[in-house]
Amino acid sequence: MRINTLVLLLALAILHLVVIFAGFIAPYGPSVQNRELPYAPPTRVHFVDTSGFHLRPFVYSQTLTLDSYKEDRTREYPLHLFARGETYTIVGIFRSNIHLFQVAEPPRIFLFGADGYGRDEFSRLLYGGQISLAAGILATLLSLAAGTIIGTISGYYGKWVDESLMGSAELFLSLPWFYFLIAVRAFLPLHLSPVETFLLLICVIGLIGWARPARLVRGVVLSARSRNFVSAARGFGASDLYLLRRHIFPETFGVLLTQAALLVPQYVAAEATLSFFGLGVSEPEPSWGNMLSTLQQYNVLVSYAWLLTPAAALVITSVIYWLLADALHSRLKSHSI
Amino acid sequence: MKYLLRRLLRAALLLIGVSALCFLFTEMAPGSFFDEMRLNPQISPETVTALRARYGLDQPLIVRYSRWMASVVRGDFGYSIAYNSPVAPLLWTRAKNTLLLTGTATFLVWLIAVPLAAWTAASHGRWLDKAAAVVSSVLISVPEIVIAIALLALAVRTRLVPVGGMRSLGFQEFSTWGQIQDIAQRMVLPTAVLVLSSIAVVERHVRASVLEVLQMPYIQAARGLGISRTRLLFRYALPVAANPAISLFGFSLATLLSGSLLVEVVTGWPGLGPLILDATLSRDLLLVIGGVLLSALFMVAGNFIADVLLLAFDPRIRTGESHAN
Amino acid sequence: MGSDARVAKSAQPFLRVRSLTKRYVRGGVLQKRIHVDAVRGIDLEIPACKTLALVGSSGSGKSTVARCVTRLERPDAGEIWVGGTDIAGLANRALLTFRAAIQMICQDAVTSMNPRFSAAETVEEPLLIQRRGAAKQCRQSALEIMSEVGVSADWANRSVMEFSGGQRQRLAIARALVLQPKLLVLDEALSGLDLSTEAEIINLLLDVQAAHSLTYLFISHDLPLMARLADTIAVMCNGTIVEQGPKSQLLSNPSHPETKSLLLPAKIFQKKYAEMLGVSG
Repeated sequence: MRINTLVLLLALAILHLVVIFAGFIAPYGPSVQNRELPYAPPTRVHFVDTSGFHLRPFVYSQTLTLDSYKEDRTREYPLHLFARGETYTIVGIFRSNIHLFQVAEPPRIFLFGADGYGRDEFSRLLYGGQISLAAGILATLLSLAAGTIIGTISGYYGKWVDESLMGSAELFLSLPWFYFLIAVRAFLPLHLSPVETFLLLICVIGLIGWARPARLVRGVVLSARSRNFVSAARGFGASDLYLLRRHIFPETFGVLLTQAALLVPQYVAAEATLSFFGLGVSEPEPSWGNMLSTLQQYNVLVSYAWLLTPAAALVITSVIYWLLADALHSRLKSHSI
Repeated sequence: MKYLLRRLLRAALLLIGVSALCFLFTEMAPGSFFDEMRLNPQISPETVTALRARYGLDQPLIVRYSRWMASVVRGDFGYSIAYNSPVAPLLWTRAKNTLLLTGTATFLVWLIAVPLAAWTAASHGRWLDKAAAVVSSVLISVPEIVIAIALLALAVRTRLVPVGGMRSLGFQEFSTWGQIQDIAQRMVLPTAVLVLSSIAVVERHVRASVLEVLQMPYIQAARGLGISRTRLLFRYALPVAANPAISLFGFSLATLLSGSLLVEVVTGWPGLGPLILDATLSRDLLLVIGGVLLSALFMVAGNFIADVLLLAFDPRIRTGESHAN
Repeated sequence: MGSDARVAKSAQPFLRVRSLTKRYVRGGVLQKRIHVDAVRGIDLEIPACKTLALVGSSGSGKSTVARCVTRLERPDAGEIWVGGTDIAGLANRALLTFRAAIQMICQDAVTSMNPRFSAAETVEEPLLIQRRGAAKQCRQSALEIMSEVGVSADWANRSVMEFSGGQRQRLAIARALVLQPKLLVLDEALSGLDLSTEAEIINLLLDVQAAHSLTYLFISHDLPLMARLADTIAVMCNGTIVEQGPKSQLLSNPSHPETKSLLLPAKIFQKKYAEMLGVSG
């Protein structure tokens, strides 16, 4: 199935931008609790009331009565666009307090409902996306960097260097990846600061996965090394470094790009799974994985369907990246002759 | 024969490498079970030291590694500190459950995927092929954890199948047939998750290789002779397309123990997965290593079996070997 | 006296090859090692600014001689005198100065050029590798040489894949010239070109030789073609030179059967042509 690469890149860009601008788009911060609204269902946004259609949407206040939530129709609270709210930062640099939409207190606007602590699922979804996507992308960069270096050395210098490096690659590939991931995680301290956990996660996921990119890069380097234009350049007196930089490395771009598109969703899923099990990002920082871990409780799984939205986010991310990888792969095949 | 010996040697080296890696990790672990214990004011430092000596944790590295390797080879995987019992039997009971699950799932996957792949390859370009391609694209891209949670939610809400555990209460009272039924019912959910998450990959691979074979001249020639489509597919195309499929099958075998960790934990199937996960969370390192080693063993064995199968199926490897000599 | 000195100087051979031998080894660890002599006892001389054509059928070893002279391979025995130095046994470091002086142009220019490079990038590359100046200077020199060989400046930034066969040979020549070499080894550089392009390239090569005072070592299987370019011709067969001498002598009085068989196609063609035109050949 070949969807236009441009469309996919656009979708990907939108996804990442939305997540980067989480502070702006989300009405609330990720840790803001509302203990009086546990597991609140998604707030209904209305356009019509007894007096007819309104251009500006509004919500009603939800309150917990006995076992269920009821809308209090006595007062309408209109939605304000580009309104002021809590301060936030974008990529840690830009500060602002203008949000895409806000609702005046006391009601809360839970677009995707709330979790057990009354935290807005929609806001947490966006902030969690920052962590999950960042983990996936950074781990991918790490894998690709390690794989490129090792693959290039292996393919260029050949002989025993190649044999030993590819032997260890095979070793890593024959390890049960996920078991190994968990085992490595087991051997590292369980209780770390959120930043340390995040970095640790990236290192573990990224470094374990160096083998496949290394093999692919090695293949490309091996075939590029014997091309005539490389011998010609060598004939002019080119050094190894020059050959690698100018002639051989550019050949790897295609492979690296496709690998990136394949690895990012895998690593995002890996982070999600580890966090789901409590081995990754932990409370109170949201990540798509640890947001899903509440669903391990039977009653939550049965009654609160809106808590499944992180799963939907994972699916959307994975599908877009996968389709992109497919498209890149076909392109690569048709270009190399 | 030489080929097999070489692959066997490779497998052995791989296992040694894996075990060394595993063992190294024990050493690098900051904070073990005993460090946590030491923090506990109720336990005196002397007790901790004595316990450490008892488990042989105060000897130099090489000694510990060789002692450990020696016992592993004998089948003794050490002692689980948390469960206070030898690791090996713990692993084995759980491993059996896992194998039941993954064995069934793998069987189903291949049973469905191969004919499906052959069929879609044969109807290349038509709506069936396109529809299957869409479905497989979606299935491949959705992460396993999502499939697991989604099916779990579905099962729990519709109450079609029982969820969690392998046996119901009062299992002992069931008749043999009742027992089989009970386990089978509880197996439906985890098996479904496993099948859905791996079938797309297998189908794609087999389809790609069948497609490649179908383009070959000898197939066109056979067609020209008037051989029927089904016969063409199954007697002419499939055997040749088998080669990459066999490698993939070997990979399926290789992941029999390790591929189901996630599913087991999410659906509550009492296999190796939840055991290892709990061991991880409680820093019961020998148990974790035992589990990793066992699944690595399966992985290496599975790949080796794949090599054997390839040798048996692909005459080119056999003749290639004689040429090299 | 002055003209004598000039004659003496131009009579000094620029390239002198003595007893060149190169062996290849077949078989590895498990098989019996068989040594095959690709070339044996090759003696050649090319005076400065002259052209020597080394002809032979495929497998005669002529490409091996080319590779040894340009030191892409290291000969097993013999001497290769360039100017006053024997480069046959030199280590790689010492060779660097000579690498600029001896350049090779191959048959299929395409494969020796990186398809991702533009024409200008390809031609300037040797200058950049040898650090003959700043990037701008190298680009300028490359463009000058390109216009000299007849590649328009508008095409400078196009990928080399967009050029025709003849144009690519021109680029290969430009690239070879950019380091100001003294000796050009042309290994089947005219094969695979259509007749009119072949004629153009021949003319270009002759012009360039005169303009830059180059010595040519031409490798080919096409003896009649070489007749147009060479001053001396050496015929190779099975790794040795079987006949060598000035062009006129070889063409009118070939003594070795190999030489005669190499001349045959031309003779047949001439005869047929003569028949067609109704002229006695």
